[in-house]
Amino acid sequence: MEQDPENSELIKSIFRTVHTIKGTAGFFGFTTLEGIAHFSEDILSKVRDGLVRVDEDITTILLQSVDYIKAILASLEQHGKEPDDIEYLDFIVELRNFAEKLTKGGEEQGDTDSKEAAEQVEEVKEAEQEPEQAEAEEKEAESKDEKQPPASAQEGSTGKAEPPKETSTPDTSKAASRPKPKKIAAPAAHLTETHVRVDVHLLDKLMNLAGELVLSRNRLVQIAAQLSDPELITANQRMSLVVTDLQEQIMKTRMQPIGNVFNKFPRIVRDLSRSANKQVQLRIEGAETELDRSIIEVIKDPLTHMVRNSVDHGIEGPEIRIQKEKPAIGTLVMRAYHEGGQVIIEIQDDGAGIDPEKVKAKAIEKGVISAEQAASISDREALMLIFQPGFSTAEQVTNISGRGVGMDVVKTNIEKLGGTVELNSEKGMGTTVRIKIPLTLAIIPALIVRSGGQRYAIPQVNLVELVRLSPEAMEKNVQVIGDSEFYRLRGQILPLIRLNRVLKCECDRDEHEKGLNIVVLNSGDRLFGLVVDSINDSEEIVVKPLGNHLKHISCYAGTTLMGDGRVALILDVVGIASTLNLRAEDSKRQTTLVSDKLSGEDERQFLLLFTIAENEYFALPLALVNRLDKVSLSDIEIVGGKEVIQFRGHSMPVIRLENCLPISPLPEQDHYHLIIFHMNEKDIAFLVSRIDDSLDTSVEVEDEAFNQDGILGSAILKDRTTLFLDVFNIIQIYDPDFFTVPKVATDHQARILIAEDSSFYRNLLCSYLEAAGYEVMAAEDGQEALEILEKEEIDLLITDIEMPRMNGFELTKAVRNHDRLKDLPVIAVTSLSGEDDRRRGVEAGVNDYQPKLDRDQVLNAVHNLLGDSEMQQAA
Amino acid sequence: MSDMQQNQITELDNAQEMRSEDTLEFTTFYYNDHMFGLPIDEVIEINRALDVTPVPLAPDYVAGVVNLRGQILTAINLAKRLGLHSEPEQDKEVSHNNVITGNREEPISLLVQKIGDVISVPKSQIEPPPDTIAGVDRSYVKFVCKLPDNLLMVLDKEALERAQGEN
Repeated sequence: MEQDPENSELIKSIFRTVHTIKGTAGFFGFTTLEGIAHFSEDILSKVRDGLVRVDEDITTILLQSVDYIKAILASLEQHGKEPDDIEYLDFIVELRNFAEKLTKGGEEQGDTDSKEAAEQVEEVKEAEQEPEQAEAEEKEAESKDEKQPPASAQEGSTGKAEPPKETSTPDTSKAASRPKPKKIAAPAAHLTETHVRVDVHLLDKLMNLAGELVLSRNRLVQIAAQLSDPELITANQRMSLVVTDLQEQIMKTRMQPIGNVFNKFPRIVRDLSRSANKQVQLRIEGAETELDRSIIEVIKDPLTHMVRNSVDHGIEGPEIRIQKEKPAIGTLVMRAYHEGGQVIIEIQDDGAGIDPEKVKAKAIEKGVISAEQAASISDREALMLIFQPGFSTAEQVTNISGRGVGMDVVKTNIEKLGGTVELNSEKGMGTTVRIKIPLTLAIIPALIVRSGGQRYAIPQVNLVELVRLSPEAMEKNVQVIGDSEFYRLRGQILPLIRLNRVLKCECDRDEHEKGLNIVVLNSGDRLFGLVVDSINDSEEIVVKPLGNHLKHISCYAGTTLMGDGRVALILDVVGIASTLNLRAEDSKRQTTLVSDKLSGEDERQFLLLFTIAENEYFALPLALVNRLDKVSLSDIEIVGGKEVIQFRGHSMPVIRLENCLPISPLPEQDHYHLIIFHMNEKDIAFLVSRIDDSLDTSVEVEDEAFNQDGILGSAILKDRTTLFLDVFNIIQIYDPDFFTVPKVATDHQARILIAEDSSFYRNLLCSYLEAAGYEVMAAEDGQEALEILEKEEIDLLITDIEMPRMNGFELTKAVRNHDRLKDLPVIAVTSLSGEDDRRRGVEAGVNDYQPKLDRDQVLNAVHNLLGDSEMQQAA
Repeated sequence: MSDMQQNQITELDNAQEMRSEDTLEFTTFYYNDHMFGLPIDEVIEINRALDVTPVPLAPDYVAGVVNLRGQILTAINLAKRLGLHSEPEQDKEVSHNNVITGNREEPISLLVQKIGDVISVPKSQIEPPPDTIAGVDRSYVKFVCKLPDNLLMVLDKEALERAQGEN
């Protein structure tokens, strides 16, 4: 090389590199960079063409160019834009002048001696490496910075004004160039070294170890505290700090700026707005906000979807905007920031906003909610409807959005990450969607609970609330339907799952007798209560996967380490929910009880709605149902002329309702739904084609229209005439002996008076009491009941609480104050008992208090009070 | 002795050639009278200070999970995995003798009743397992060696690692 000072290959290669830099910089609008590269190229081209010989001056200026290019790249990397510093402009001017001078005096300068030239070339070789590196980095930087506003206009114009000629070429004189590059290159060198490729697994391992270090530290801290050696404590504290810091830093290795996603959007918004004939300006704020790499991957699509929505439906066309006295150009802001350990991403537009009324109308049209519900929900709730499946507000489906994947998908995706979505909108002013997501998925906040002596972690994401029930409240508010327990939580029926039972551990009896600890959890869109032995604390836990042998167990999401170094299992809420006794599909319907606030009456009932043949709708009280199940046609056997299926190790008769009632027959299906009842110690089921819904409602059942055994009456539910079935009666029609209790010892048939204003319940009560072998009389209110009591010989009174003219309490008081009747047993029945009612009942003097739909309990109470021990056993 | 087994033995030999020309070293452990072993280079470590956290619903042979310096391992009750008859009291007893084996990405911990010595066995004594071994599921036994006073069963690490259903 030294022998060949004018190594043309070398110079050519440098020239090409610089040219590439120039080209790329120009393409992305980095004008300063382009300017420097351009003039450097100019000079180099002369050298290449042999017009000038490389001398000290040329080398110096070229090396300087290299340094400046590096500095600009560093700045791009750090700030995402070219430095505004005047220094760079000065250098461009200098470079240009130099290039001009070269052009003029090229020949005179060409006579540098060969020795010098040789030295120069050596330097050139070194320098050559750098532009190449720089170039590579530049590309990286650019891909990131694509969307940054191009360099300022001022810079641009300067660059153009002075386009001529500086060039960076490697310098020639060792002495002159060496010190300089070192000085200026310092930040640049730093730049290249800041990026090291590291295997993600290595990072995970490091994180593991850091976590373990924290645990060891915790133990040390405890020991140090016990020993109370000041020196040890000081040393420990210092180590503590370092360990904490270490862990934080390692966590950071997984972080990436959200800008990596945001940067895609200027292009998307531009394309969208163009195709929608709208003018939209995108503003990005907080692109540097960092969050876990894995999360960044996942939020890309939801964000795109929401931006599309905003451009497509939110922001109006320019004409409309001008009419509304808004700037013709709509503004869309994407904003990210940290708040309370979470990352908030906002997508805000100043468009038309969302009209809650429109949303409601649409929701009703799409059958998402009913008209009654729509009337009762707030505007805020209405807005949240757009997250419901099957909803799209676009009046016209455009090619951009409204292709069936709606906001519900966005919501689901965000929730999968443990995030939440909120929507604020003011009509005419715009819409803001706020997404909250956790910083990382590797560390999650969790609630630690204890069950069967072990600790379990429940991800906080799924946690709704904690409920502690005293034994009394438990007795009152926890209802048992078959194997399933339900708790009535502020009007919602909450299925309960006992963790001990799910995990098949022994339960701690004492704990449960002291009351129930219920962790209310949200799995997808339904709630359930998980009953645990005790609730410990909330902690940040590190999620670790389960081993091969255990992965298949759906109840666990992973494992984690507790502060004491022991392992705790993380519960998979969805997995646990699926163990719910009721089949997932049906139980959703059964538990999402739509509150139909039709009237102020408190006589509410939970109804199960189902279909047998198309367009014939039936209802029966949910409380009678033991469980819902599915059965395939082939599972139905015929034994002794009756259809049965295998259930809990017995043959259970299944009833086709068309055999007992004058209704259309059940169509042939591969699978039927079963409504299973457990009565009188036996199981029996109705075969139906579809379970439609469950409903918490108060209805007035008309019993005039249908004078038919097995049908209590009819009512309009969800705009459809629905027949209310008399389950007891139907079963009796099917099997007259079903309710026959062995050894009915009745020399004297007990007479029971029922005071109940609702004909539906009156019929129901009569029906099952008569089925149990009692003589039943009925009164429509307290006044009538009292009149009957005075005239007739009655053994027991069952009274409703809420009745016109004279209510249950007044009736009971009247009975207690009556000379002849004061010892009459009284059972108060109610659709769902409240503590308050129970207390008032006791004060008034009732003997027992029962939910009216619970046949077995009511019968039990009746037997007890009548002192008929044999009957009691039988029931 | 089938060819395949012969090959396996040869491989085993090669792996240990550096240490000794004629013998193989095994880490041994016991369950009742049964003596088991794993080639010494398949054992990552022996740890007697790990607490086993039970995992409800897990397969019967899984005793639970243990924390080995931040890595969570599945602890396998060796006796149950091999189909040996075990008493519940014995299960408690074994929970502190962890033999950590398997690959380093996802090791497993074998819970054994007693940990024995490392022994050297002349390779000429290593044989494929007989068709039946009293009380032990043969599929987990790779080789046996007849020692003067006992039969050493060399376990198959891969078979132990495999989750049920993968077999």
